[in-house]
This record gives sequence, structure tokens and C-alpha cells, in this order.
Amino acid sequence: MKVSRREFIKSQAAVAAAAAAGVTLPATTQLMAAQGDEGIRWDKAPCRFCGTGCSVLVGVEGDRVVASQGDPDAPVNRGLNCIKGYFLPKIMYGKDRLTQPLLRKKNGQYDKNGDFEPVSWDEAFDVMAAKWKEAMKKEGGPSRVGIFGSGQWTVWEGYAASKLMKAGLRSNNLDPNARHCMASAVVAFMRHFGIDEPMGCYDDLEHADVFVLWGANMAEMHPILWSRLTDTRLTKEGCEVHVLSTFENRCFELADNPIVFEPQTDLAIQNYICNYIIQNGHVNKDFVDKHVNFKRTAENIGYGLRPNHPLEQAATNNGYPDSNKAGEKKGDPMASAPITFEEFAKLVEPYTLDYVAKLSKVPKDKLEWLAKVYADPKKKVVSFWTMGFNQHTRGSWVNGNMYNVHLLVGKISEPGNGPFSLTGQPSACGTAREVGTFAHRLPADLVVMNPEHRAFAEKIWQLPEGTINPGIGYHAVLMHRMLKDGKMNCYWQQCNNNMQAAPNMNEESYPGWRNPDNFIAVSDPYPTVSAQAADLILPTAMWTEKEGAYGNAERRTQFWRQQVKAPGESRSDVWQTMEFAKRFLVDEVWPEELLAKKPEYRGKTLYEVLFTNGVVDKFPYEGKVVDDRGNQYANDESEHFGYYVQKGLFEEYRLFNSAPDIIKKGHEMAEFETYHQNRGLRWPVIDGKETLWRFREGFDPHVNAATNPAVAKGDVLFYGNKDGKANVIFAPYDAPPETPDKDYPLWLCTGRVLEHWHSGSMTRRVPELYKAVPDAQLFMNRKDAQKLKLRDGQLAKIVSRRGEITARVETRGRNRMPEGMVYLPWFDSGRLVNKLTLDTTCPLSKETDFKKCAVKVEKA
Amino acid sequence: MLELVVQATGSKQGQAVMADLDSEQRKGVTRRRFIGEVLTTACGVGLLGLGLGLYSTRASSLPAHYLRPPGALPEDEFNGACIRCGLCVRDCPFDMLFLGRLGEDIPTGTPYFIARQAGCEMCDHIPCVVACPTNALSHELTDIREARMGLAVLIDQESCIAFHGLRCEVCFQICPIRGEAISLEYQHNPRSGKHALFIPVVHSDQCTGCGKCEEACILEEAAIKVLPTHLAKGEIGRHYRLGWEQKERAGGALVSPDQEHRYHLPEGLRYEHGGRGLIQEPIPEPPEAAPIPDNPLDSLNRRGPL
Amino acid sequence: MNICSLVVHARPERVPAVAERLDALPGVEVHGRGEGRLVITVEDTAETLAADTLAAVNAVNGVISTALIYHYGGGALDEPLLEEEHS
Repeated sequence: MKVSRREFIKSQAAVAAAAAAGVTLPATTQLMAAQGDEGIRWDKAPCRFCGTGCSVLVGVEGDRVVASQGDPDAPVNRGLNCIKGYFLPKIMYGKDRLTQPLLRKKNGQYDKNGDFEPVSWDEAFDVMAAKWKEAMKKEGGPSRVGIFGSGQWTVWEGYAASKLMKAGLRSNNLDPNARHCMASAVVAFMRHFGIDEPMGCYDDLEHADVFVLWGANMAEMHPILWSRLTDTRLTKEGCEVHVLSTFENRCFELADNPIVFEPQTDLAIQNYICNYIIQNGHVNKDFVDKHVNFKRTAENIGYGLRPNHPLEQAATNNGYPDSNKAGEKKGDPMASAPITFEEFAKLVEPYTLDYVAKLSKVPKDKLEWLAKVYADPKKKVVSFWTMGFNQHTRGSWVNGNMYNVHLLVGKISEPGNGPFSLTGQPSACGTAREVGTFAHRLPADLVVMNPEHRAFAEKIWQLPEGTINPGIGYHAVLMHRMLKDGKMNCYWQQCNNNMQAAPNMNEESYPGWRNPDNFIAVSDPYPTVSAQAADLILPTAMWTEKEGAYGNAERRTQFWRQQVKAPGESRSDVWQTMEFAKRFLVDEVWPEELLAKKPEYRGKTLYEVLFTNGVVDKFPYEGKVVDDRGNQYANDESEHFGYYVQKGLFEEYRLFNSAPDIIKKGHEMAEFETYHQNRGLRWPVIDGKETLWRFREGFDPHVNAATNPAVAKGDVLFYGNKDGKANVIFAPYDAPPETPDKDYPLWLCTGRVLEHWHSGSMTRRVPELYKAVPDAQLFMNRKDAQKLKLRDGQLAKIVSRRGEITARVETRGRNRMPEGMVYLPWFDSGRLVNKLTLDTTCPLSKETDFKKCAVKVEKA
Repeated sequence: MLELVVQATGSKQGQAVMADLDSEQRKGVTRRRFIGEVLTTACGVGLLGLGLGLYSTRASSLPAHYLRPPGALPEDEFNGACIRCGLCVRDCPFDMLFLGRLGEDIPTGTPYFIARQAGCEMCDHIPCVVACPTNALSHELTDIREARMGLAVLIDQESCIAFHGLRCEVCFQICPIRGEAISLEYQHNPRSGKHALFIPVVHSDQCTGCGKCEEACILEEAAIKVLPTHLAKGEIGRHYRLGWEQKERAGGALVSPDQEHRYHLPEGLRYEHGGRGLIQEPIPEPPEAAPIPDNPLDSLNRRGPL
Repeated sequence: MNICSLVVHARPERVPAVAERLDALPGVEVHGRGEGRLVITVEDTAETLAADTLAAVNAVNGVISTALIYHYGGGALDEPLLEEEHS
């Protein structure tokens, strides 16, 4: 029954009067009023902010999202939202939505120095494809072009981009913004367990006795998980919360053991805990003997800076080309060597309480308390971490050291016990990691370096042998360096805002984008800082303007249907990627030897080879998508291409993770339609059943005592590694590359605030959120401010070796800084904190350390 | 959705009034006041010049959303002391103070702010007070945290999304005396069963009434509002003290504590006076498997069958 | 845009006739009737304002009294607004 609002109000009015008069009304009038939102079509969709993966109900009336509510039936959030989720639908209706492609032009022609002018999609892609082809003719061919994607891409958007780059253009220059976010977590999962993503799930939040937060401000960054954690703390007797950070954040309000430590010394604290466990006889011998290998990591690995930096010159294991020996590399930062348990014990022995307390500036009793909760066999402990670990010049180590602690005491893979790496983005797991959008990855944990993996991918993608490039592509930071150096010339950014997000904007990002040799395309719904720095802007459909899927931090894959049409000529990223593929003939981008192996591909476009391959285009589209209640939805991509695009892409992707002949087990997913009928399922999904805790017999279908005699009931098996064991890898404390000195005496840390998502391009367009936190403030210690004669609210200049910005001082706010450290959030396009940051990365994960660089503050 | 629910039973006449009550009333009042002020102005011009000396009959009770700058004397005294010079407004670095104009519900020329539009930023050095030439904004105020411009009241718990378990807390975050003037109280969310509620609680002993919370409230209409203190705050009977507070202040009971209480109790139960009351001791855990005593004699001398 | 609802009192035997007359007024709709009572809504039309119609309702022959129960005075209703209906 479709009713207008006016009819609805009339019916409400009539019911009110009838109640007063005791008169009975016809049934239809009553029904209309009872269903207050009659005329609104409700459907579910996951929130697009943060990795928690709350579900919201989206109310659509007349092709517009007019209402929303937390989804009461979603297990993650049970009807709750944070403030960003509350305003979710408003992100689509910013007044300055981009609605047509815009190209820099002078005198009717593309010109890098021209002004943006509206163009047709045809003209946009013509110019762009010509630039890409021109670039690929230069030395290095496919490495001249690249796509920078996102953990906010839908699963199939990431998959299609991966396929276009890796299978079509034969370039591995595909990296997501998850590189800035989750790369260190991934490296540690792979090194320690041989398979990506957490073993536990959010139910750990109700089962743990002790929560330890390491560099995770869950109170602001995972608000709904934090409210679950808080509830457990309130209602469970003996529950403790330990919070570690380099400054006092919102989580400290709940902390029983609040710990502020000196930046980078988390590595030492972890080794102290290992040492404590060993020295006091709390090693779970049985577990360690059966399930753990010991190793030590390569050291002296540099800091991911440019090769000519003195620190990299001095490094012996950074994997960079060796200037003394042509053609050779300086070691391998990923390397590790086997050791014994006794050797491991010896390596952590120097990390005594005295030494670590002095290094970290944490009182001894606090450190000891922390070590004891890990050591106590009666206490179930969950460790949570996010960017404090991941954005770290030793990010892969510090992630790994956490696994060392949990593995030594066997507190892993069971309810309430486990290390839990939280994700930042809504689909960092589901898209960025799982479908292979990193420069070294293929779908389902496969990698381009492995010939067996390449062959498997080529088989599924129906490509001639040797199509996939075996060399690792450029990662996020390297892309900017290569753009600046003119070695990469075409860059397409989708679904993020990397000019604002990437480090060292003044010296690397901006010069790279504006290099006259380069052509930069940005797909975005809004005129972001990136769009301003681009040459071509492609207007993009967002969130529920397209059918999508995300995967959250607990391995939950969630789908949504297209709810409304995108404004103007906006098109989704998957449409853009597939349509762009039509611009290339295989003959233009593949060498003759490949074509000779598949002569039937000659003369075909990449679109035909990749997407109308009999698999992706297998499912017909009936002109609408219909749900189980009979509601109808549009699907603009399927309408355009003539088949059910999303279903085809997802079902082809499933050949990588769920078909009988897959290489890596453990990522199994259910069929496409199943996800539309559920509020997400946690993989591996086998026989329609989800997996809550991985690697544990009874919980994980891959560890089955009935079929595998080596596995005892309730035992663990780390099947990601061939020997079924997890690795404890010793990694030492290493000083950070840039520390405060007399010229730049303060640490600078950057990150988010609760009210804004990432670069603020969406949340700052919601007036209420803008008003709640309009500008990024400089959080600093009151004493530091007084020394500089700065008062609250006064404008200060923050200067690093790379740039300067201004912001107002805040000494009373949500983040209480210790002396010697300031915090400046990065959401504010009016003060770009990445002008200050240093492009130093973890040499293993290539993830930037946004948490530590040296600055000075002055009166502005 | 804007809706006005009016319940009335009445005649034709009554109804016509009801139908347009809202706008009619507004118009009427405005017109009356306008005429009143014009007349007063006409007299005032000759004496003191335009903008000075205008008294509203309602001056001692400003409309609730008009707030005075920090340090303002009680309303009657303030109106006497304020010479409408505008210096406080001039010296406010944040341009959030205004002067009353003709037609507004506030004495013309006197300073005010409206929290929903822009709250007081609570400058450390309180430039508006420093600028005041007459002490209408009392120069005794040197610590901005002592200012009492009003009191924040979480006036509508039904619309405040924090009471429904949503993670908002914008008022708490933006409060310049964060954690003290507004704190968060954690409560179990019985509806969801596994989340906590983060309830903002205003503490009147700390709240300066700066209005930042009302300004920032993300609802269409703020659920937290700053009101003049006399409207916002109840007052406990002057005879009555809160015993637990008095005890804390005195550092011990005001009257000597009881002697030790003792009780008749069945085995396994304890009673804690003044605390948890009746307590059932936990049942001791059964001995671990293979209970072999450390002393071999204990095993050897054990009675009963082997 | 004004929408009101009223309870109209009339002599029981005259309710059908009153209903007919009310229905003929612009912007009036009769939703229900009971023993001596009718439930109607009145809304603005292109020509008349609800407030004027209210007067006309009282003038209808047979109406004893009316009671205004509900008044909506919001903006135009064809304009889609983003709202949190559930807050």
C-alpha cells in the first residue's frame, strides 16, 4: 500500500480524533497510521564507517533515503549506532555532490594546467585510455599505470579492479588504502599463521575476563564494540580493562590499569611479558610443544624510506638494491630463521622489568600487573589493537609480538581468549584483503610471487599461462614516489582520498600528482582534496546507490541491495572499471607470445576477455532485483551490462575460495543469494554453517577430530601453515627513525575522532557532525602550551621538517596528552596533517607510521 | 515532523481561537511589546540617547534561551550596572556575544548569547569581563571555571540518542570542563543485552553554562539545553543534609558507629552489617583428581576400605 | 499546510444527514461515525484554508459542537525530507 505523507498525516489525525470520540474507523485508516512509515521501503545495509560492521535499516521513499534506523536484528549492534551511523543516509545528500565527469581543459583540449570542465563519460574515458596506452608504451610497460583502491570498495568492486589490473593489464600496481591501515596486521597473520584474519569473533567481547587494548582507541573508533566491552566490564565480576597508549584517550575512562608508554616501546613491553611468562614458569608447555615453532626475525631492516636516505644506506636487511653488488639485494626484511625455545628465552631475557620500565617510562607495578594477567592460566584475555600497532615502523613485528605472548600461554582460538586485530575500514577484510587488491596478492590469500598460485588464478580466469606478472607491484607509498620520479605516469584513485591520507604530502604526494608527465584520475562523489589535485574527476555512486558487499573485522560478509539511483551521471566503481576495460584491445596490452597461446582472444576487448567470459555474465538479469517480501530494487550495473554483474563477479570469486580444487582452504563462503537473506555470515562457511573460532576442534570445520587422527577433541590446528603449527617469531625493540630533538621537540601523532570518518569527505558534509566537531584541534599538554604562551583556542603553528599547518590549541579535550606529545586528527581538509608526517613505513608491510614524527609548535 | 496536538472541547468561538492559537498569540504579544518599546524609546531618546536606559518590565526574567556573558551580576543588578557600552561584545574573540536590539525580549543594548547558535568558548583570560567598565560583569571573576552563565540540563531523555544506547556523547566531548561538568555514566543496556549505555550527566557544581553542549547537540532540537540557573536547578530543603556526603566531609560517622553485630546463622552463611547483608559462602571446590596427600602418613593412616 | 481532525457532535438521528453535508465541504473528509459523533479531517485546499472550513463546519445545520483534536501545521507534504522517524 503506497501512501503519501499527506494521506498518512490525515490518517493519524483521524485516529487521534476517533480515539477521543470512541469511534471505530475503517481498517485501512488504522493500518495506515499504525505503520507510521507506510510508503517507506525498508531494507538492510551495513554501515560504511569503520570495521565494526553494524547493520542499519535504510528507509527509501520516492528514490530517496528518507529514514534510517539501527537494525535490531543485527547481531553486531542490535539496533544501535554510533553518531556516524545515526547520520549515515545524509552522507549521500551533500549539496556539492559531483554529477558529471570533469576534465582539466584549456581551449577545449585536455590540459594539465587547465580548469575542470564537464565532459561526457565517453570523452573522459577516451582521454584517460589514450593516456594509459601512451604510458604503457614507455619502458616498464604495465608498471607505468596503477589503481589505488580502498577498504571501502564493495567486494566485487575490488575483485573487478584486481582482475582488470592483474589479469587484463598485467600490472600488479594495485594497492588499497588498507595499505595505510591493515598491511602490518596482514603480514603478521601470514608470518605467524599462514592465513589472514582473526581467529576469534566479537563474541569474545562477552567471554573474556580481561581486555587489553594496545594502541586501539575503541571508545571512539569502534564505538559499538566499545559499548559491548564496557557492558562486560560492568556486568561481569572480576572483569579488568588494561589500556595502553602513547597518550590518554577515551578508553582510559574505563581502564583499571591505564598505561601511557613512550612511543615505540610497545615492542619492549611485549618482550618483557614474554620474559615474565618464561621466568615465572607460566609457559603452557603442552600447547607450545604441540603447536608452536620458534623463529627469530631478520634485523637491521631500515625504515621504508627512499633508498638514498642515510638510515636506508646503513640498513643491511631492507631488501633494497645493493649499490655495491649490482643486481643483488640487501637481505630480506621478511626473513626469519628457526631457533629453539631456549634460544627464544635467551633473546627476551634482557627485557627485564627494570629495563623496560625505564625505557617505556611506565611504573613497574603497572607492567607487572599486565604481565600477570597474560600469565595467569585462570584468566581469559583478549588483546585488541588497531592503528597503534599497524601504523608503526615495526608494525609487522609489534603485531607478531602480540601473537608470541598469546601463543606462549596458549590463550588463543577459544571463546574469550585470543589476540584480536581490529580493522579500520568496513571492508578492509572483505575487499582489500580477501579479493587480492594488494600489490602482491591474488584472491583468497594467493600471491603473485607463487607460480602455483598464478597458474591457479590463470585457470579460473581463463588466461594463457604466464599472463599474471610475477613481480610485486608498487605499494601505496611507493606509488607516490614513482609518480614523483616519473616512473609511473597514470594513477586512478577509487573510493578514497589519498592526497589527504598519504604521508609527506608536500615532498611526495603532491609533486607526484602534479608532475606534468602524469595523468591522475579520481573517482569520488565529492570534490575532495584528491579531486582538487587530479586531472580527471569521475562522479561516483556511493553506498546504497549500488548493490554491494562488505566484510567486517570478525570475518562477517554482509550484502546490501541498491536502494536508490545515484544522482546525475554518477556511476559505481564497478561500472567504471568494467566500462574502462572496453577501451583496451587485448592485442594492445598483451605481447604476441601470450596472444599466440589464446588466438581466440585476438581482437577482443579486455572487457570481453575478463567479464563476458561465460562465468561473470552467467546470471541473467530480469530487469529488477526482488527480495523475499516482494520489494523491488534497481540494479544499474546489471541494467547497463545486461547480466547480474554482482552475482557473476561474486560467484567467480567463489571459485578461488569455495570450489573443491582450491589451493588454500579456510576462506569458504556461501552462495550469493544466501547473503541477501542474512545479516552476514562469518567465514569459513561450510554446509551453510558459520565459523566462530578458527583453528579449534569443534568450532572450526577444518579441524576435525573425526576425520583427522592427528587432532584431539578440542585441540587446535594452525592449518594455515603446512606443518599445522603457529610461529613465535622473536622481534626486538628498535628505536624509531625520527625522534624529538632540540629543533623539533615534540612527538606528533595523528588519527581519527569519533564524529568523523577518515578524511571527512562524507561526515563533514553532514551539518550536525560538522557542528559537533568542525575543525581539527591540536591536542597538547597544558604545560607544553603554557611554555609556549599558548592558550586554549588560540591558533598555533605546527611545523615539521616537511611542512607546516595551523590549528587551535586544545588542552582540555578528549585526548589528554603527556608532556612532549601532540595529537592532531587528519579529517580536516582545512589543515592537512599529512603535510607534516614522514613517509616512513614498516619495511615488511610497507605501512606508514602515522603515529610518530617530530614537530615543533609555535604561536601562529 | 512538526505537529501540534491540541485537545479541546468547546464552542465555535473557542475553536476558532484554538485553530490559530499559536500564530495569533505570537503576533499579539509582539505587537503589544513593540508598541510599548517604541513609546519607551521615544521618551528615552531625549534623556539618554537611543539604546540606553531601556528597561523592559520583564527584565528580571529573561527568556530562558538568552544567556548573559560570564560574571554577569544577578539580572536586576546587572541591568542597573550595565551601561550598554558594548565593549564586552567588541572584545569577545569568538563573536558569539550580541547586544539586545529593539524588538527582542531583552533590554536593548545589553549583552547576551544564545547557546544553540554559539556558546561561550571560556577564554582563560575572560576578555569580556576585563573589558567591562562598570563591573556589571564582575571583575571578581578571574577563573572562568567559576562562571555561572546558566546550567546545562539534559532536558529530553526521550530524544537524546545516548539514552537509547547510540554512541553519540557529543555534549560530553565538547564540554570545556570535560569529565567534570559533564561526565558519562555507564549503564547496562537491558534491551540489547550486551551493550552499555553511555549516559551524559551534568554536574551543577562544575557546569559554567557556557552552552557548548547545546550548540553542538546533533538533534534537530537540542536535547541538552542551558537554562538560567534558577529555572534549571531544584533546591533541597534547607533543613536537610545528605548523610553520606556529611559523613565523607567529616571523615567519619557523625554519631559513633555501632559495636560489632552478631547473628544466629545456619552454617555456610555470613551476614555483613551495612554491606552486602546475607552472604552464602562459595561451596568449596572438590579436591583435584588423584588426591594424593603430600605426607605419605596421611595416605597410610587413612581409614575406610582400600 | 494545515491538517486538522475533529470530533463533531450531532443529534444521533441527524448524523447521516450531517455527514453528507460535511462531506460536501471543501477539504473535509468523514472518516467514521458513532452514536451522535463523527470523526472528520479538514485540510487546506487550493481555494480555502482549513481555518475557514472549521468555521463552516460549525455552521452546518445539525452540528451541536465540535472538538479539535489534532493539528498538523508543517511544511508542504510533497517535499521529501530526510527524517529520523525513530529517534
